[in-house]
Amino acid sequence: MPDAAPRHTSNGPGRVIVALYAVMALAATGRSSVQIASYFSRAPLAYVLSAVAALFYIIATIAVAKGGPAMVRLALVSCSVEAVGVLAVGIVSYAIPALFPDKTVWSHFGAGYGYVPLVLPFLGLWWMRRFSGVRGGTAG
Amino acid sequence: MLTPLTVVIVALSVAAIVLAAIYALRDRLFDDIILGTLALLELAVLVQAVVSVVRVGALHAERATFVAYGLSLVVVAPFVAWTAIKEKSRWSMAAVAVGTFTVAVMTGRMQQIWGLNA
Repeated sequence: MPDAAPRHTSNGPGRVIVALYAVMALAATGRSSVQIASYFSRAPLAYVLSAVAALFYIIATIAVAKGGPAMVRLALVSCSVEAVGVLAVGIVSYAIPALFPDKTVWSHFGAGYGYVPLVLPFLGLWWMRRFSGVRGGTAG
Repeated sequence: MLTPLTVVIVALSVAAIVLAAIYALRDRLFDDIILGTLALLELAVLVQAVVSVVRVGALHAERATFVAYGLSLVVVAPFVAWTAIKEKSRWSMAAVAVGTFTVAVMTGRMQQIWGLNA
């Protein structure tokens, strides 16, 4: 019994993507505020990157939840940035560990978060692409 | 932190995940049983958060992380209930599973931090 084709970005699989993004937004915001507030000098680059990740997770959560052409574009940009970010930071954290004395959300490809940060942007891109180029955020 | 309450929270989270899986397989929608489980879970999480914040003085390390986790956890179950109720497909159950899994993992992490200091 196939589910009816979702008509809005936040329906069907979108609901899970919103939930995952909300959880990651919460986790990254919490982690980066604690890191920046309590011991910023220990690993400034890592902590700033955590904050950047948090920002893009918040943007993606809102964009997927709201839908509509502008939000679809916003989500596609946000997911792309996250994808590049997690891959770049993942590679650098293995290649030059000295740059990352403490972990970020994206270091080691998001291993500390069950690799959700690695999978989620691609899941988001796959999902939101279905809604790009259609008016009113509805799939035709 | 109250260790027995941690056990209760993890058990309720696991129960919610199992329920969500059964509901998804049978194509059943969000109902009072799921809502009740999430409400019980939230009650336990709330009590744990209050106790944890009150007793945080006993901690030496990772105090800020501990408090951040405790306070963040409080919003997870209500958010999941709110978002899953609106979804009229089996995907709502996946959202329930994601949220309750998060509650279990974060509570486990808090217990770990608590154990470092106790």
